[in-house]
Amino acid sequence: MAEIALQNVSKSFGAVEVIKDISLKVEQGEFVVFLGPSGSGKSTLLRMIAGLESIDRGKLLIGGRECQDLAPGQRDVAMVFQNYALYPHMTVRENMAFGLRNVGMNEKDIAERVADAGRILEMDALLDRRPSQLSGGQRQRVAIGRAIVKEPAAFLFDEPLSNLDAALRVRTRVELAQLHQRIAATMIYVTHDQTEAMTLADRIVILNDCRIEQIGTPMEVYTYPASRFVAGFVGSPGMNFLKAEVTTSGKEAVATLGDGSRVEMTVTIPDSGAYELGIRPEAVHVTAEEGDTTGEATVVEHLGDRTLVYARLGDGTEVIALDGGRSQVAPGDTVALRFDTSQLHLFDSAGHAYHAD
Amino acid sequence: MIRNARKDTLIAYVLIAPFVAIYGLIFVYPTIDMFILSFQDAPLITFGPQTPEWTGLDNYTRLPDDRRFGTAFWNTAYFVLLTVVPGTLVALAIAMGITRLSGRLQALVLALFFLPYILPVSVVYRIWDWTLNFQFGIAMHLFDVLGIDRVPIFKTSTWFMPAVAFVTIWWTCGFSILLFLAGLRAIPTEIYEAAELDNAGRWTVFRKLTWPLLWPITALVLTIQLILQLKIFDQVYLFSIGGRPNDNLVMVYYIYQRAFQNDDGGRAAAIAVVLFLIVIVVSVLNFQLLRLAERKT
Repeated sequence: MAEIALQNVSKSFGAVEVIKDISLKVEQGEFVVFLGPSGSGKSTLLRMIAGLESIDRGKLLIGGRECQDLAPGQRDVAMVFQNYALYPHMTVRENMAFGLRNVGMNEKDIAERVADAGRILEMDALLDRRPSQLSGGQRQRVAIGRAIVKEPAAFLFDEPLSNLDAALRVRTRVELAQLHQRIAATMIYVTHDQTEAMTLADRIVILNDCRIEQIGTPMEVYTYPASRFVAGFVGSPGMNFLKAEVTTSGKEAVATLGDGSRVEMTVTIPDSGAYELGIRPEAVHVTAEEGDTTGEATVVEHLGDRTLVYARLGDGTEVIALDGGRSQVAPGDTVALRFDTSQLHLFDSAGHAYHAD
Repeated sequence: MIRNARKDTLIAYVLIAPFVAIYGLIFVYPTIDMFILSFQDAPLITFGPQTPEWTGLDNYTRLPDDRRFGTAFWNTAYFVLLTVVPGTLVALAIAMGITRLSGRLQALVLALFFLPYILPVSVVYRIWDWTLNFQFGIAMHLFDVLGIDRVPIFKTSTWFMPAVAFVTIWWTCGFSILLFLAGLRAIPTEIYEAAELDNAGRWTVFRKLTWPLLWPITALVLTIQLILQLKIFDQVYLFSIGGRPNDNLVMVYYIYQRAFQNDDGGRAAAIAVVLFLIVIVVSVLNFQLLRLAERKT
């Protein structure tokens, strides 16, 4: 167990800079998720920590030890790959023992550790099988087992669930959360799936365009996104964005939407002007009374416990509203929409966020 | 649509008929005829109607006491020993080197190593005769410079087989390299990355990962090489010109001598049958043994 620190780390592939001056500290025992779209540099960053990619500039400290120039095997980290990367010709037992034999551990200790890992992951019965005789989920467990037996300072996961089917993904996600609670190890987890990030992480690091957009707990990131990008990337269905002209005086502001309706809010912004108003679907209510604006319901999705209403406003902007499970709204209806003004966000042209109180 | 099964079958037969006819004419018939011929005392080329004389197993029973057959048999075995395993290992080593290169450099180096494979054997002979010829060979000038006595490589039985084996490896290993490269590329890079994190050194990676994962390809290359080298003829024939063909005899060369120089079709056929059986037994045995070894690892 150890903390991991990145200090002003950069990397380029030829002339293309893929990691731009990133600094980050992962506390001991913390579960940190790198979240970002493909090409954001999240996998590269993980591979730099693992030692599979070189670090051009900056420092990497694992447990206080400078590691940026060490070979992968000397960094005391274990990695779980997206395609598992099991050794196909070895049994499960041999797969797990391989790394331990390479450092010259004696066979008795190896057998003990492998047996322990088998017990933790409930795969005692599989130890003498080959990877080809296992299902996808079982292979994933072996890959995790291979990491566990090393008792590393930190675990690195590179999109470990993306090759599993939907049901298994949910189950393995829960198992991973339980595993983290049980062994309380430092874990870094890369994914593009924001549900995985929200459910697993102590803290989420959101990467975009080779830089960190925001670091925070799942709820911080969800409730107070630092930028337009984070607001749009986190949450499903995604946040609604509406063009707005905002006039401000002190802490009060009035936003005029494209269809002419006005929304009042308490927010501190530097200047009046054109902003994007962001609001999550659960803060847009379908109301029987007079709302902030009205729209025409185009699509209604009944999800059982809740209903998503896709409404088109007067100026053609589409807004998703959340209604109760027994919503009576039908496509073609005109619906009144009320915005929860405490959950509004304003984004300036540079993407910087201002949150309403 | 209801299909007419009988009509479909008929069409199928019609479609494969040309192949079956040609295959029967130029492969099955000659093979059977060779077996029959091997029990007769018959010339290869006959003028006018002649009844071949049946001699039973005579052509076969004479082989153990046939000095030239003995030479041919042991020379072939020696040649196989000198080429199959060494050639496979050389190809593997070169493929391992090439796979570390990237992009155009890799393509270029691969092309250079593959180039000899596309040469006809006569050109191969010319190149190496120019290199190793006792009187004019470039290598001999090098020997002179280094103060080593010139060696008539293709005129002494000690050097003949090793030299021809060396040339053969040089000539044919391009294809094996290609097979090994394909095999190496089929091993996912993630496995090597996992091994790096597992503290495996280069030698461990080769011994514990690359070698076992490449084994099916190695078995294939070994089998192909074995069959190919058992049938050695052209190189030996060409390099023997002006030398001592009778000391350098190999199986196919001896068949050629018996059939086309002595016009002794029956005895040539008997040797051919023996070689045929050796190739089949050895290659089947080889492939099965290699598969067994694969299952054990």
